[in-house]
Amino acid sequence: MRFVRSTPMRTAAGPVLFGVAFLAPLVAQSLEAASLSAPFGLAPIHFGLATGIGLGIVAARRGRWL
Amino acid sequence: MSAAVTSAEARAARQDREWKREEAAIARKYMGRVPWEMVAWGLGNFVLWLSLWPLTLSGVLPLWAGFVLSTLSITLCYLPSHEAQHSIIATEGSKLRWLNELVGHVSTIPLLLPYRIAWITHKQHHAHANDPELDPDHGNKGDTWWQAAWNGIQTRQFGAGHGYRNALGRSDDPNLAKAYREAAALSLSYYLVLTTLAWSGHAIEAALIWWLPRHIAMTYIQIFLSWAPHHPMEETGRYRDTRAWRSPVGTILSLGMEYHIVHHLFPRIPLFQTGPAYHEMRHMLDERGCPNDRPD
Repeated sequence: MRFVRSTPMRTAAGPVLFGVAFLAPLVAQSLEAASLSAPFGLAPIHFGLATGIGLGIVAARRGRWL
Repeated sequence: MSAAVTSAEARAARQDREWKREEAAIARKYMGRVPWEMVAWGLGNFVLWLSLWPLTLSGVLPLWAGFVLSTLSITLCYLPSHEAQHSIIATEGSKLRWLNELVGHVSTIPLLLPYRIAWITHKQHHAHANDPELDPDHGNKGDTWWQAAWNGIQTRQFGAGHGYRNALGRSDDPNLAKAYREAAALSLSYYLVLTTLAWSGHAIEAALIWWLPRHIAMTYIQIFLSWAPHHPMEETGRYRDTRAWRSPVGTILSLGMEYHIVHHLFPRIPLFQTGPAYHEMRHMLDERGCPNDRPD
């Protein structure tokens, strides 16, 4: 639930920021915890950042995560 | 014919007044005491949830157990605040008012639901229950519980023009500006905590102690507090917008919402007293044709 008045810019930036700030390290640490390596020889955090930013952009364009 | 209709209407009006008097007399028996169990529940549950952080981060508690306990704790955190929203713990101007406000503010922090925002929007739910335009909880409507769960998830998406935002936009509550400030502070704190934990190597703990449990809890709460007691959300009006129902998972797992009809009729009755009050006034509610799916 978000209760702060939103502007279109803030609404668009929010998911990307969340992707960088939370999803990126979450993806990276999940890979490490599962002893999996990131694809394309990427470092886990780089893969996490790519995933987090990618998901954030998709969410921002759709207006929702799910 | 006209005289007969008038006489029938007069009888019905007289009966309605008598029932209202009787319902109010029953309700008065259950109102007025401080529900200390809700105070202990609200504050104790918050302390329990807080304690999960050091316990899991230090490895004393396995993360899976922390996840289960946190999901349970966050699911249970709304109801004490709900009692405070209705000033059931202590009314305005009374000696224990500070306790009412403390429980209200503190208990829903894990749910990321600011107390004043909850109260401002909840008042609109009571005033307009089941109204598609004016009830902030109407987005939880669904033919089945899983449709309601999905619809509830959709109302929480950042881009959704959900009922809470609309309700706040319509509100002229004098505390609205303060409510927005508190909401911004709580929301900012939440994202700062998640970010700090995530970038210091505790992203999985942050996800399993707060982020994911909060989403699961919110969905559970929306199903049992918003959807089930008002299903099918078609009718409006004091005796039509809420139902008595028998939950397939029992009273406790349905968070005491089987008797929610009593709460909508008399919001100052504490949660634990809605069952006894319901059984006392059931005959009148049935006579009135209130929605009732209970066999007993």
